[in-house]
Amino acid sequence: MAIDSVTLEILRNHCRAAAESMAFTLYRTAHSTFVKETEDFTTGLTTPDGETFATPTDLGATWFVGLNYKNVIDLIDHYEEGDICLTNDPYSGYVCTHSPDMHIWKPVFHAGEIICFVVGHIHNTDVGGAVPASLSRTLVEVHQEGIRIPPAKIMEKGELNEDVMSIMLANVRMPEQNWGDLKAQIAAMNTGERRVHEMIAKFGIETFKEGTAQLLDYAERQARAIVKDLPDGRYFFADYMDEDVVDGYPCRIALDVTIEGEEMVFDFTGSDPQIEGSVNIPTGGEVRHALIMVGLVYVLYSLDTRLFLNSGVSRVCSCILPSGTIVNPEFPAAVGLRTLSVTRLQAIIFGAFVQAAPDRLPASPASGGPIMNVNAIDNKTGRRVVASIDPIMGGAGGDPFADGADGSGANSSFMKNTPVEINEAEVPIRILRYGLLPGSGGPGLHRGGLATVLEFRAEAPNTRVTARNRDRTRFTSWGVRGGRAGTPSTFLLNPGKAGEVNLGNTDILTIGPGDEIRVASGGAGGWGNPFEREREAVLLDVRRGFVSLASAKDDYGVVIVDGAIDDAATSKQRAGRTGETSNQFYDYGEGREGFERLWTTANYAALTELLRALPVHWRFFVKHRVFEAVDALEDAARKGDGSEIRAIVADILENYPQLQISA
Amino acid sequence: MGCRVGVDIGGTFTDFCVFDEDSGALHTLKVLSTPERPGEEVLAGLREIERRHGVTADQISYFTHGTTVGVNTVIQRKGINLCLFATEKFEDVLEVARLKMPDPYDLFSRRPVPLVTREKVFSIPGRMLFDGSEDMPLDEDAVRAAIAGVRAVDGEGIVVSLLHSYRNPDHERRVVEIVEREAPDLFVVSSHQVWPIIREYERTVTATVAGYVQPRVGYYLTSLQGALMDAGVTAVPMITKSNGGIMTAEAGKTRCAQMLLSGTASGVIGACQVARMADVDNALSLDVGGTSADVAVVRAGEPQYGVGEMIGEFPIHIPTVSVTSIGEGGGSIAWVDPHGVLKVGPESAGSNPGPACYGQGGERPTITDAFVVSGFLGAMGLGYGEVTMREDLARAAVGELAAVLSMSIEDTAEAIIKIAVSGMYLEVSKMVSRYGIDPRDMSLVAFGGAGPMLACHVARELNMRRIVVPLTPGVLSAFGGLIADIKNDFIQTVYLDLDDKTAAPIRDGFAAMSVEAMTWLREEQGYTGEATLLYSADMRYRGQSFEIDTMLRLSDIEDGDVAALAAAFHAEHERLYEHADAEAPIQVINLRLVVVGEPPKPELLPLAEATGEPEALHGIDIYADGGWHGAAIYRRDALRAGHRFQGPAVIAQDDCTTCVLGGFTVQVDTYGNLILEAED
Repeated sequence: MAIDSVTLEILRNHCRAAAESMAFTLYRTAHSTFVKETEDFTTGLTTPDGETFATPTDLGATWFVGLNYKNVIDLIDHYEEGDICLTNDPYSGYVCTHSPDMHIWKPVFHAGEIICFVVGHIHNTDVGGAVPASLSRTLVEVHQEGIRIPPAKIMEKGELNEDVMSIMLANVRMPEQNWGDLKAQIAAMNTGERRVHEMIAKFGIETFKEGTAQLLDYAERQARAIVKDLPDGRYFFADYMDEDVVDGYPCRIALDVTIEGEEMVFDFTGSDPQIEGSVNIPTGGEVRHALIMVGLVYVLYSLDTRLFLNSGVSRVCSCILPSGTIVNPEFPAAVGLRTLSVTRLQAIIFGAFVQAAPDRLPASPASGGPIMNVNAIDNKTGRRVVASIDPIMGGAGGDPFADGADGSGANSSFMKNTPVEINEAEVPIRILRYGLLPGSGGPGLHRGGLATVLEFRAEAPNTRVTARNRDRTRFTSWGVRGGRAGTPSTFLLNPGKAGEVNLGNTDILTIGPGDEIRVASGGAGGWGNPFEREREAVLLDVRRGFVSLASAKDDYGVVIVDGAIDDAATSKQRAGRTGETSNQFYDYGEGREGFERLWTTANYAALTELLRALPVHWRFFVKHRVFEAVDALEDAARKGDGSEIRAIVADILENYPQLQISA
Repeated sequence: MGCRVGVDIGGTFTDFCVFDEDSGALHTLKVLSTPERPGEEVLAGLREIERRHGVTADQISYFTHGTTVGVNTVIQRKGINLCLFATEKFEDVLEVARLKMPDPYDLFSRRPVPLVTREKVFSIPGRMLFDGSEDMPLDEDAVRAAIAGVRAVDGEGIVVSLLHSYRNPDHERRVVEIVEREAPDLFVVSSHQVWPIIREYERTVTATVAGYVQPRVGYYLTSLQGALMDAGVTAVPMITKSNGGIMTAEAGKTRCAQMLLSGTASGVIGACQVARMADVDNALSLDVGGTSADVAVVRAGEPQYGVGEMIGEFPIHIPTVSVTSIGEGGGSIAWVDPHGVLKVGPESAGSNPGPACYGQGGERPTITDAFVVSGFLGAMGLGYGEVTMREDLARAAVGELAAVLSMSIEDTAEAIIKIAVSGMYLEVSKMVSRYGIDPRDMSLVAFGGAGPMLACHVARELNMRRIVVPLTPGVLSAFGGLIADIKNDFIQTVYLDLDDKTAAPIRDGFAAMSVEAMTWLREEQGYTGEATLLYSADMRYRGQSFEIDTMLRLSDIEDGDVAALAAAFHAEHERLYEHADAEAPIQVINLRLVVVGEPPKPELLPLAEATGEPEALHGIDIYADGGWHGAAIYRRDALRAGHRFQGPAVIAQDDCTTCVLGGFTVQVDTYGNLILEAED
């Protein structure tokens, strides 16, 4: 039975209302401050097959639109009314993507039949394991990242399963918080279930069943129309994280997008091997994994914000995710800090699509700034304070229509900061500066958004500073179509003083009273030729302190004298630099250009091809040996055609007879 | 005795509600607003009231009014050229805001451009700390340099907002002094004066909105005072406030931040009064006009209060009657997306050109047009006979969509209504989940020009069984102003751990605030009657990032009964969030005090008793649930207490039309409210 479009639209509003009501209920009743502060949770409704047909957009994380619960639904062999199931195991069905995320689902019955599931997750502050909060770059096995509950019933026919509960609570550091948050999740499931029953009463069971399926089709149809507008073709893009592990080597994710008609394929062959660290992205090689779909959802929604967000959107795409790579690690690789790599992955997807729609999409957003935490004893109260003081996100990329948003934006739009006055009241630190970093946005016809900068001084001894997800000190946010890259991110101890230390991508350190920290994200990339930027816009940026006089002249060709534009000098400065002067589509910035002089396209292709032939547990080891050898090469030996890499790998194979046995 | 006049000045219409204290009669009127010539619409209305009801200026004993002049100044960005003096190295406070974007899925999403852009923000060296101590003295030369900077950008006014001024305002005060001395022509206001709360962005944006509009609002109020005086009105003009209270117009000139949302707030105050008269404890108020639809929660006959309500694109953090926008009102435009799906809004025809049926050039179909096509509207004129409904134009507009959808015009009209209502359902659903309430246990108080038109549809969608339509639904904000209390809020940031040591500072803090409050009421407002003081505190569990405003008993404060103060918080936390933690340490962030003076209230007379069946004007045909039905149309002023009839029906009055669907029974209560009950 086909449902008329009017009924479908009304049903759509009711389904959204159910998902939003679940989110508001969860948010309202959650116990932990973490959930309220970060909104790192989601709720939704899925078909009996696990496809999410309605998600909230007012509250919650933006990453789970395309989530499909089928794998975990199928891991429970029998459902009864009143059952609620949960899992936080990243390797059981690949719905959960790191151990702090507790996913939960409840079947909704009508006349003895499951007609949908209500679902959702909360990021718990801690689920046990080697370190508080369960996440660290130094962990290498998922076992270190806390207790893992494989799919299990936490409620059976409405009764709490005390056995599962007690095992879980015995293994976490703040059991009352986890239990409190789980109660909020259960309340949200019950809200969703009640709303589904109300919808069945209003619309009738057949209309509900058929309608929810059609809502997926509707989103798919909208997505197909957006894709159809993009030119067919192959669009390759790759980018790097600065370090695969602490003090390690760069890590590349490579993506080949093929658009054909209304559909596309994402091929990640060419991405680095899985990492002996915790930034792996656990996808299980699923054809449409939610974490891979995040970037696609951003792109399609930004191209048409009327897009209804549900799993139907991801049906336009299928993925090739080779096993043993960073985008499909093998058990038991650690995955806790996949936030860092997933953020980079999103911008890689943006980078591929901007080739397909250069006049409709922005340059790279800033990133690489951390979420800053401070752990210290308050001098006045003697109390230990553990506080998240600020996310240092940076702005959005310049786009075809306007400058990028400053300080935050694009795929970091959901984060909130903490007021300076609250930080100074709660945490034994003095904030010295908080705001935008002048000069950090990539120059462009439309400038990249400025970085965020924070400076503070510790007031107590043994102040532990955590800077989670540090990156982009070396590989900066790219500009596009003549727009330039943003500045690198920075992390300094005692800047401008004797003993200044460049902390690079350090993510944890201990400082003492009087020590000062300065942390800034990278700047976002610019869009279009900066020498064509309106003169008045450059002047305004100078007056706002966002661009220096020197940069106005050198990067934009605008000469400003005594606060006014010198038109003649400007025309001279700009002569020959307007129009399509650059033959480079992207500007990657000096860090990447320097790296790619050694690691040419051919060299990196040779590396990934050769590593692919090795057993998974050797790849990361060999990658590091190759990087060491490349660094040690004489300039004369650098050909850039892949030959030096082949020679190095041949040497390594010779030096490690064990590898030959394993191979 | 005399006449009490309440006026609500909107962007399009100015509403009047006049209560004759001698006869007990309630008169209403709407006239067109004259935003270019403030005050003129008020005089025009007063003249018309004199003509219709014989009320002369000297008979006016009480005059309250609300105005959207402040909000419109922000929305249209027509405020003064404002500058900001901010603490050095924290100058980006308005640019950065709280980082979060309006639409986090959209890569193009942006925060609104601040009312003061960065080139008009000036650095002020000097630093206060959290405990109120001075870490670095104010650099007064820098203040003078900043004033020169203001001159260079042709600034007209300055907002001073420095870190931790909620705790120690000395630097802000000193900067204001310097500006007043060296640049007496410049308007200047400081953040602690406007609303002294902790959290620099919230305090600064609130002060900025206030500073941006204050000179405009001040000019407007002065003009109005003059016009009223010229007209011979001797009553002290009062203005309605966002907190649901009133204050003198004179006070509004310096405290305009408190009156920005006065229209919506006094509508809710009116709805609360209606709920009390109809013996309804818990209700949702539904206020639908041409361009907006708002819902508020009424609990035990009282509105709910909150902070962070939006003025245009900016949050303002002073206490405000909580109202949630659920859509765009009767002017919302229906359209068909590329996939053949009918949508309603967010685009609105507003009041100009308005719905197609107004015949003012609007060609696109709106919710109001759908009601005309369905036969509910159009049988009688609207707006005191000033607007004639053009059914032909409504049918033509809806007909275009009907052709695209291959549906009949009537089915398309009904689809527009249902989709619009399902969108309102979505927004109300979020709101009730946020509050943790169940609309099925509540009544719907419907008002505004289009509220009673949509009420049955909305109630049906939300499974609400009871609707109350007040006697004067079109001018309920003006009515609300008539019954509002004189009221003001006070706040003091203390940021204390709640324990035995803090009993004294809490007690002393409240004592100081009560003195301030009584000074405001007696001296500034000149009110001599009985005063009520309401004590509360913003409290939280340590580690939480938001506070709950918790009502406290004066005796517990005076006795230093910390356990009782804690218990009050635990109970409130439990009520709002369904859990509490008796063991967890509590922080007291702010002390709050509300002072209330109750002017004599109008005593509304019961409506005359019905002596027979209500007399229908004539029969009409209405289209609902896929078919035509016969319905009766009644004149509201012909209905009497105790009248009872079944839907479908239409009740017409000057300021509004009530549409009753089949399945609802109408009963007229003692005070003339329509009580619509869903049949089982």
